[in-house]
Amino acid sequence: MQDILTLGFLATLLATAWRLATPLIFASIGEVISERAGILNIGIEGTMLMGAFCGFAATFASGSLMLGLLAGIAAGVASGLLFALLTVTVKANQIVVGAAINLLGLGLTSFLFRTYYVSTGRGVEIAPPIDIPWLSDLPFFGEALFRQNLIVYSTVIVTILAALLLYRTSFGLTLRAVGDHPKAVDVAGRSVAAYRYAAVLMGSGLAGLGGAFLTLGHSNQFVEGMTSGRGFIALAVVVFARWSPVGAFFVSILFGLFYALQLQLQAQPLLNISYQVFQALPYLMTIIAVCLVGGKSAEPRRLGVPYGER
Amino acid sequence: MTQIDQQGRGGAATPPPLRILRKAASAGLAMMRPAAALAVALFCGTVLLGLNGFDGISVMIGMVFGVFQDMRSVSEVLLKAVPLILIGAGLCVAFRCRMWNIGAEGQFYAGAVAATFAGVSVEGLTAWLYVPLITLAGALGGAFWGGIAGYLKVRFQASEIVTTIMLNYIALIATSYLVTGPMKDAQAAYPQSARLFREAWIPNLIPGTRLHVGILVALVLALALYVFLYRSSAGYAMRVVGINPFAAAYAGIRTRGNMVAAMCISGGMAGLAGAFEVAGVTRRLYQSISPGYGFEGIAVALLAGNNPLGAILSGGLFAVLRSGAELMQITSQVPQVLVLVIQGIVILSVVAFAAIRWQPWRKG
Amino acid sequence: MGLCVGARAVRIGVMPLAIAGLLGSGAVAWADQLKMGLLVPGSVSEEGWNRIGYNALKGVEEQLGAEVSYVELQQNPASFAKAFYDYASQGYQVILGHGFEFQDAALEVAEQYPDTYFLISSSDIHEGNVIGLNTDTSQPFYLMGVVAAKMGQKAGLVGGMEIPPIQQAFEGFKAGARSVNPDFPISEAYIGNFTDTAAAKEAALSMIAQGADFVQPNASGATVGGFQGIAESGKNVGTFSIFSDFTEVAPDNILGLYKADYAQGVVEVVRSIMDGNPPQSNVAFGLKDEKVMQFTFRDDGPSSVPEEIRTEIARIAAEIAAGNIRTMSN
Repeated sequence: MQDILTLGFLATLLATAWRLATPLIFASIGEVISERAGILNIGIEGTMLMGAFCGFAATFASGSLMLGLLAGIAAGVASGLLFALLTVTVKANQIVVGAAINLLGLGLTSFLFRTYYVSTGRGVEIAPPIDIPWLSDLPFFGEALFRQNLIVYSTVIVTILAALLLYRTSFGLTLRAVGDHPKAVDVAGRSVAAYRYAAVLMGSGLAGLGGAFLTLGHSNQFVEGMTSGRGFIALAVVVFARWSPVGAFFVSILFGLFYALQLQLQAQPLLNISYQVFQALPYLMTIIAVCLVGGKSAEPRRLGVPYGER
Repeated sequence: MTQIDQQGRGGAATPPPLRILRKAASAGLAMMRPAAALAVALFCGTVLLGLNGFDGISVMIGMVFGVFQDMRSVSEVLLKAVPLILIGAGLCVAFRCRMWNIGAEGQFYAGAVAATFAGVSVEGLTAWLYVPLITLAGALGGAFWGGIAGYLKVRFQASEIVTTIMLNYIALIATSYLVTGPMKDAQAAYPQSARLFREAWIPNLIPGTRLHVGILVALVLALALYVFLYRSSAGYAMRVVGINPFAAAYAGIRTRGNMVAAMCISGGMAGLAGAFEVAGVTRRLYQSISPGYGFEGIAVALLAGNNPLGAILSGGLFAVLRSGAELMQITSQVPQVLVLVIQGIVILSVVAFAAIRWQPWRKG
Repeated sequence: MGLCVGARAVRIGVMPLAIAGLLGSGAVAWADQLKMGLLVPGSVSEEGWNRIGYNALKGVEEQLGAEVSYVELQQNPASFAKAFYDYASQGYQVILGHGFEFQDAALEVAEQYPDTYFLISSSDIHEGNVIGLNTDTSQPFYLMGVVAAKMGQKAGLVGGMEIPPIQQAFEGFKAGARSVNPDFPISEAYIGNFTDTAAAKEAALSMIAQGADFVQPNASGATVGGFQGIAESGKNVGTFSIFSDFTEVAPDNILGLYKADYAQGVVEVVRSIMDGNPPQSNVAFGLKDEKVMQFTFRDDGPSSVPEEIRTEIARIAAEIAAGNIRTMSN
């Protein structure tokens, strides 16, 4: 029980949280971009699975980690293209298409994995941990926090880039306007559809990357349904984070922290509380948080509404 | 939802004969669309099988027709259709009110837990009392679980998409806790509840099969929800809230009450499905009692165009696909997951065909 | 890959049945051929429980020339009885329900098909034509517990879901470790499913961070994630490869292998059924059945188990096999 309170414990906890948060960070920032443009994509779970599978398949075939990550992103973009085609061009209901993409993602990846790879215990080489020169020498936190692989570190860069893109570029300004006042953008002579396509493709690409992290940056194998609901959690992260990329980063870390804490506390033999209580805690917290931050103020005004409909 | 918009828009400025013709054509097309979508999906499935070294055509034929080979197979399809129709029809109401209830899975579990609790705790009731009791318990359990999300939506503007997803996880974890802890059958090593009292079992419909009277209840309730939505002023009010809550409020409709009610109705239907599954099929509560009926129910409702009567057809179709998938694996060892691909393509094809329907006229 | 080829072979063999079945003459045409069906609660592509069941089926196919088929039921209890009916009505003589959860459904269907044998994995049942086949995983895990307590300071157990096959194994582990040192610290965590490899890995890492130097994952498909976490934590953490051979995943950490050749056990039972003398009670496999349960040490790893511990383990294994040591408390 005492070791709960040591610095070392906290440091490992944070490191675990960061790793567990990594797929969530990618997926939720992707979803922030997409939702900012007014497109609610609930198909991230399926998209992540496609990214995880294609990333695994590409690295398995080529031996190159980089190719795998690119394949993961490409799989996400392909899934996004299908989604955008149906929701932006055809103007179909976004929830419908998202639900279908989830079914497709789970079905296709499981079917193809079954047909071509069926695990023989053979995996791929995952991204190796890299020390950051002087940060990893810091006492306690250094070793635990700054001995991660490049994909984990890159979450910080992706977060900053996404924030800059949304708030510091004219592209981002227009993109956000597309989510709030698409008519104004249309009147100003820009194509609402083009911006929505861009947002969906970026978002899905990031979700694909988040999936690819699971097979290329964490475990070294593909397992059917291995995203285990992370795509849905990412949806919650977005609302909790009030549609902000930086917020999404920290909320994802918070979720990772809960999960890590849950694992750590289960492993404390002295603690006599049912582990299911800890498992339920993050979900309960999300509901409370969503109620607290609630309000429509931060939500893109035309979220989920195809342009050209009332 | 979108359907109403389109019909309203299409009819305005055209002469009556043309309008009638167009209405007939679009009604015909509306019937054709799911059929054509199914054809496309089965074709894609066949191609996918063929590309991966299977004899796609005979597998597909076996899958679709195999489930109708005898009475027992048909009864199994109907048995699978019960939860899908109930959940799908209930979700039609929520979706018509524009409440995106993704939480039918959790509401199914809540209903199953409530029904199990009722079914193992009261001894000595006659079946005439017990069956309605646990049915009611299931419906109330589901309605309560759905109602939470509805209440949080109107009270705190908490997105029901997020809260229902979270409530799914909580219901699943709670069930896992209950069957490994307080509700665990003391005699069994496996995490499961005690067996429900014999009097609480849903009566069988066809002797020699597992089909229970729940299928009749599902059909009646789907019809009742259709009548409610399209033939009652309360249902009309609910649909208006879904189309435009501000206009509804302006017209004096209680938007908040309607939203919560829509969540309770869809949750209640899912809870009922959970009660039927426990009391009609498995007789015990397990931590994995639903193979994802709640999520499949979303697809059922959407495929039905959010019309509860349509949910009977689409629920039946999904039941055929699911039963067929098991048969397909047994007879030709094709991984069952293929059926998810087919379901996904069915939905995508339906929305794609819907586009084909209206675009030419809109341009013209 | 091997599975892939195998599955294709099965498919070709069964294809005529799909068509014959449609014509309603399936059962008659194959009356003399042994047909065996398998129900698994998850995906056979996982390196774990479901694969063990699949391998058993393949064993019967290869060694007894049976025609085989399997169906994956995603732990959905409502579909269990239907699958038993499907196989029984198509004339399958032996149906293996791979897991205790299939027992209720088998009993229900067995009444209507008295000539069909229903085998249930990890069950102690014997009622007429329903026969339980239990592999006592608590026995090899007891040995692992002994090794952990003799060689390490603290052990960690990472489980999938809290169900009997996992719990029994962990019971055995704890009993073994405590037979060496009653106060040996052991922590235990469940990830709540069998698919989340990332969670299994982080659970293992958390335990190692808390000082565990022997970690044993047991989470079916997600098990590999546990080994991954162990492998990344350096050579000082020990573990045993379970069910399948995971030495490639954690080459520096795996001290030995527990291999379950459940297939051999099932083949023997099916053979006895074919010969007309089916088992007269439930069947329990343990360390006494050397063909079924193999517990070996590795010599090619960097940290190897010392000779005196190996001798001790051999002695304990013999005691367990003889029934002198109980590996579970109850």
